[in-house]
Amino acid sequence: MADPKEVRRLEDLAFEMRKKLLNLCGHYEGAVHIGGDLSMTDLLIGLWHHGMNVNPKDMKMPTRDRFILSKGHGAVCMYIAMCLRGFFDYEDILRTYGKLDSAYGMHVCKVYLPGAECSSGSLGQGLAVAVGMAFSARQKKQSHRVFCMMGDGETCEGEIWEAANTAGSYKLGNLVGIVDKNNQLMSSFAGEAMSFDHYSDRWKAFGWDVIDIDGHNMNQIVDALDSLPPVTHNKPTVIVANTIKGKGVSFMEKVVGWHAGALSKADMEKAIADVEAAYVRERSKS
Amino acid sequence: MRQTFNFGSFLSARSVVGDTLHELGSKYDNVWALVADTGGAVKSFRNDYPDRYVDVGIAEQNLAGIAAGLALEGNIPFIMGMIPFMTMRACEQVRQEICYQDLPVRMIGTGGGLTSGGGSTHNAMEDIAIMKSMVNMNVLSIGDPNMIRDILYQSMTYPHPLYVRLAQGKQDRVLYEPGKYEYKIGMGLTPRDGKDVTIMSHGEMVFESLEVAKALEAEGIDVRVIDMYSIKPVDSKLILKAAKETKNILVWEDHLMEGGLASTVADVFTDNGIYPKKFKRLGIPQIYAGFGSGLEQRKKYGYDQQAAITAIKEMVKKTK
Repeated sequence: MADPKEVRRLEDLAFEMRKKLLNLCGHYEGAVHIGGDLSMTDLLIGLWHHGMNVNPKDMKMPTRDRFILSKGHGAVCMYIAMCLRGFFDYEDILRTYGKLDSAYGMHVCKVYLPGAECSSGSLGQGLAVAVGMAFSARQKKQSHRVFCMMGDGETCEGEIWEAANTAGSYKLGNLVGIVDKNNQLMSSFAGEAMSFDHYSDRWKAFGWDVIDIDGHNMNQIVDALDSLPPVTHNKPTVIVANTIKGKGVSFMEKVVGWHAGALSKADMEKAIADVEAAYVRERSKS
Repeated sequence: MRQTFNFGSFLSARSVVGDTLHELGSKYDNVWALVADTGGAVKSFRNDYPDRYVDVGIAEQNLAGIAAGLALEGNIPFIMGMIPFMTMRACEQVRQEICYQDLPVRMIGTGGGLTSGGGSTHNAMEDIAIMKSMVNMNVLSIGDPNMIRDILYQSMTYPHPLYVRLAQGKQDRVLYEPGKYEYKIGMGLTPRDGKDVTIMSHGEMVFESLEVAKALEAEGIDVRVIDMYSIKPVDSKLILKAAKETKNILVWEDHLMEGGLASTVADVFTDNGIYPKKFKRLGIPQIYAGFGSGLEQRKKYGYDQQAAITAIKEMVKKTK
């Protein structure tokens, strides 16, 4: 069972991260992919602050766990999770996001961003790259894991399943997929156009171990990450995290228009107030 | 293994690739061989270095992504496969994962031009246009089977993506005595000098060009032949020198006329403001070809030896 103190620390970080995200969204002139950012906020906090072995003082530390954000449009979410871990400066992100020569743009760009393992943005491509990294680590007998964060929508792409098949066939136990299963695509809900039925079974059929969790429950996130098998295990693992797009902001949750959007100052304040109220509610329960 | 030289004899470029990768695999522990159900040529690599060999089945997009992941970890992956599927099915993965991140992935494709025998699904007539359009990608088209060995060795210290086009890869003409020439990414080679006209070609068509040069010699036309095996980067100096010295340029290739070497050569003229008197290109017109040997199809679509001879006579007549 997860240590309650650790869970509380992570929940506080997720609370801080939501506020920082919304603040950036309110200050940036253009649209931010805020819906899918808020759905994976808790997961990224779990990964960057608990589950992964990373070192902000030595970003290229050979023993580090590798992280690929296959849903590259959630880049800002990763920047802020990493910033809270000490990799980047929040003011720097806030000041330069999306601007000329900034390291921080809409999609992860390795050319500009130190600490990024892999550029992303074109959906469905991250898992194959993660498979390549996992092959390399196994061949070199390295002990780190390769984590790949996917959106459920991008798993409509065929390449995801080509890579899933390879990882299962070659028994890459050092590979961990995480699906931010927020049941929404950009323009529809899961099931409206494409079916996402028997979702976890699909991964099992390709030879993966599956851990189903509530992706907003930090206890479950920590338990899932703590229970990952050793890298020598004979199956890759996927954490299917059931989440809510726009989680924490009443007017964004499960609203199709909030895949990406610009936030007025007034809406930003309302959104942050929502997040704060939810935090107070949760804390008063415990 | 070095081959004894016998001009015009046949050698399988694929087996040269297989032998060379096996050698490289023993010398460098970061060399990987990746295939999409196309591993016939690299059996010895698979047998001796099974932990650095991956067959993903028929899944080229995945193959390109995995290669990128390996390269990000300091490995040098060699992908082998059929050209249309590596360059078109996996086109975006090559662009996003390999070129955008400027990774030292080596793609070796077989079945260049209309040599595959498989019809239009398997013909490779757009590959050079597609691959050379990608930033950071380097494009080679190799005819002489021994040249591939030198190029693969050289690629070990070349820090960028590389695409190597081979013809059928089963029966390739030996053109050059091993060790006689130096081959370098970014350079072209002049196996035959001449003063009236230059034929620039690559891959299989270099042999055809040498044959045409011989035929025209009998008619008093002195043909220079340039093997432009490095299409990107291209040897601009060699192109400009030929334009100045021979005045007539024919680019002849087993690729769509649009977007191939001919377009690259025209770019060089435009960028430098130096032009030949006559400039002509022969290659695949805007068609989807059917079946038959490369030779038969070149005749059918108007870019065989006879077509080259006619084109050159026409050019020389006008400039003499």
